Amino acid sequence: MTRPTLHQLVTAVALDTNRTVGGGLVSIELLRRRFTRHGWIDADAHGLFVAVSRFTPGTVVLAYCVTLGWRLQGWLGALLALTVASAPCSVIIFALAVTLTQIEHFPLVRTLLAVGILVASVLVLASAWHLIRPYLSERLRVRALAVTAVAVALIVLGATPVRVLFAGALVSCLLPSPEARQ
Amino acid sequence: MNAAVIYLLLLKATMTSFAGMGSLPQVRQDFVETHRAVSDEQLSQAVLVGRATPGPLGGYVVAVGYFAGGWPGAVAGWLAMATPALVAIPLFAVVQRWLHLPRIRAAVDGVIIASAALLVGSGVTLAVDAVRQLTR
Repeated sequence: MTRPTLHQLVTAVALDTNRTVGGGLVSIELLRRRFTRHGWIDADAHGLFVAVSRFTPGTVVLAYCVTLGWRLQGWLGALLALTVASAPCSVIIFALAVTLTQIEHFPLVRTLLAVGILVASVLVLASAWHLIRPYLSERLRVRALAVTAVAVALIVLGATPVRVLFAGALVSCLLPSPEARQ
Repeated sequence: MNAAVIYLLLLKATMTSFAGMGSLPQVRQDFVETHRAVSDEQLSQAVLVGRATPGPLGGYVVAVGYFAGGWPGAVAGWLAMATPALVAIPLFAVVQRWLHLPRIRAAVDGVIIASAALLVGSGVTLAVDAVRQLTR
């Protein structure tokens, strides 16, 4: 594992959080790809960041960027990652809010937006696959199946994400051999 | 509407939600129904802007802040969106400290697996939404 410089961290976060539509989950997948490719984080660290950011109030991707920045470059890394992940898109939102009435009537704009969201959905599904993949080994498969079954059932029943996450944690804790994952 | 009030109201909404759009019901309650600072149409426009721009879906609160209080309101919206993320640092420190305990490791594993299930749900919702827009 190597650590990025502060400049590398900030640049990577700024690039990956401000170039996709469809929400922060897409950005998280882009960040995962870039940071693991450079050897800055591994799959375990990514999973931990996702778990923590899911339990943090507010926007998931911003919490992810804060944990990423804090883990790799301390408080300054966390604050700068948070700033570059939230400020540029906020400026764009501000500008668009001013001119929205004109833009939303253009069919081409709506079509382009829909295509962008479709691409984003594929990235989100890829992100889910990368999270679940380490748990598909024979030792952890039962845990993965049990937690997934409970999570899917709760999602179908309309439970909030936080309740789904708590249920996942509870089911995983209740299963035998919690030390199975080394 | 005063920017400080906008910040506090939006912060209340973002601090009590755990996903980008999760704050929407609280935002509507405070800005549309209670204070009447934003209309339902403006709230819909804010959501559309949030969907149309890069970055987190929760960015719609910046547009809500703008509609409620001009550019100072937009700044308040940005701060209200960013502030809750700082809670992640103490949370991460606690999790990391106790991660060697098997039960904590199992709980974190459970959260990660459940996150994947939630992601599939979000991905499918996004895809359906996009196909609907394309076929409209």
